[in-house]
Amino acid sequence: MRLRVLLAALGALAGAYGAFLLLSRQDGDQLVNAATWLAAGVVLHDFVLAPVVLGLVALGARVAPVAARVPLAGALVVLGSVTLLAIPVLGRSGARPDNPTLLDRDYTVGWLALAGVVLLGAVVAGLVRSRRQQGRVQGQQQGR
Amino acid sequence: MRLRIPAPPTEAGFTSRLRSATVAARVGLWLGICFGICFLTGLISHYAQNPDQPIPFPTSPSWGYRVTQGLHVITGTASVPLLLVKLWSVFPRLFIRPPKGLRALAVEGLERASIGVLVAAAVFQLASGLANSAQWYPWSFSFRTTHYSMAWVAIGALVVHIAVKLPIIRGTLTRDVDDTTYDRESATRGSAMSRRGLLRSTWAASGVAVLVTAGSTVPWLREVSVLGVRSGDGPGGIPINKSARAAGVTASAVDPAYVLTVVNGDRAVQLARADLLALTQRTETLPIACVEGWSASGAWTGVRIRDLLDLVGADRGSDVEIGSLQERGAFSRSTLQGNFADDDRTLLALELDGETLSIDHGYPARVIAPNRPGVLQTKWVDRIEVL
Repeated sequence: MRLRVLLAALGALAGAYGAFLLLSRQDGDQLVNAATWLAAGVVLHDFVLAPVVLGLVALGARVAPVAARVPLAGALVVLGSVTLLAIPVLGRSGARPDNPTLLDRDYTVGWLALAGVVLLGAVVAGLVRSRRQQGRVQGQQQGR
Repeated sequence: MRLRIPAPPTEAGFTSRLRSATVAARVGLWLGICFGICFLTGLISHYAQNPDQPIPFPTSPSWGYRVTQGLHVITGTASVPLLLVKLWSVFPRLFIRPPKGLRALAVEGLERASIGVLVAAAVFQLASGLANSAQWYPWSFSFRTTHYSMAWVAIGALVVHIAVKLPIIRGTLTRDVDDTTYDRESATRGSAMSRRGLLRSTWAASGVAVLVTAGSTVPWLREVSVLGVRSGDGPGGIPINKSARAAGVTASAVDPAYVLTVVNGDRAVQLARADLLALTQRTETLPIACVEGWSASGAWTGVRIRDLLDLVGADRGSDVEIGSLQERGAFSRSTLQGNFADDDRTLLALELDGETLSIDHGYPARVIAPNRPGVLQTKWVDRIEVL
């Protein structure tokens, strides 16, 4: 218990220092902008991303064949999160005409290639899974 | 016709066994490790950029900053899938009804506030860091100040969170992942995917996230890093962060009247580029390692900064201010601390990879020093002044 209280106190201290740094080094407009971004992250996750994922999973449970569900869920975790973190490069908003060395790949093609590899992996995993399950069922039948 | 308004979700409405404390703790452990590495490497980077360094930032190993800052961006990138799955696994807790009784309500409120701060800070750090690595600034706050401040907030809230959850963390990590001791009451529905399967997918997602981005700093990953911010190409094999045009030096950098002024008190020496080329030339292989996480190594040729300082009789150990033809911007000048100025590898580079420096790499002359953030490797240098 003493360790937990000490940890909590240390954490609160570090957090308070951060808040002090944030509030003391920028002007009002910048702080409002930073606060908007901080709130937007939580709102976008809780009220946009989370419901979208719930919807996708519900849809998958209804339309996907049973053997494909696990590989599809895995593909969603991998491709979904990597796509989200690639938004800055996929959007190319930081690209500048005077600097051809920045964002110098074709990210659409790159993303499509990645999606292809992930989905291929999912299909192979699904086939291996269903064959293994068949084998198990046959094994049980022969064992009878 | 009456519009049916869907009822708000309840905690009991989430029945999947996958959303469990055993999964959350395992993903959280790796997320905590990644955030810890991000925090420490971030502190190193912040300190390296401070003009005043009570403890001198070391000049060796020359690739030190390349590794720490590469690690900073790699662990931050790996954190994205971890954070998403972590939030997914505890999402039902968002809808737990507030308890009755003032005391219980206050405790619950305080814990929820700390979680709110943690989630806001964590999402903000990853989102702003990723946008910064792609040089996308859709905001008006100062990135460096805000990212640094929120790093303290995030790590503080994380430590509070660990303190609050320590018994559950211990309990879940010492039990099997399929153990149900810490499951929510309603989480009884089995799903197609197992908890182990979800964890494996999460580790795979983090691994893929690193593979497809890390080529910006790990040369042998270039071919597979299809979503990396840079391919690594550029004049002399090194990418560019700020072009001559963006810095507004396209005319002044190629002006034949260019001279470098080296100043120490009332002693001053002026050198044209031809004079610099006539001095003893040295070649050093040193990396440019940018705060945005990309890096590349090059063979730079030019004059030792220390040789230039000797021309004006500067004492060893003196800090030096480097001035640039670039007129605006926070990095149009930089402080070269005494230990960097005296290091034999610190050059005023005139050539890269055996060829005249390109204008975007800082022609007519630029600073290149070991173990230093790229933003401090000042380009288009026209003034060196002993402080």
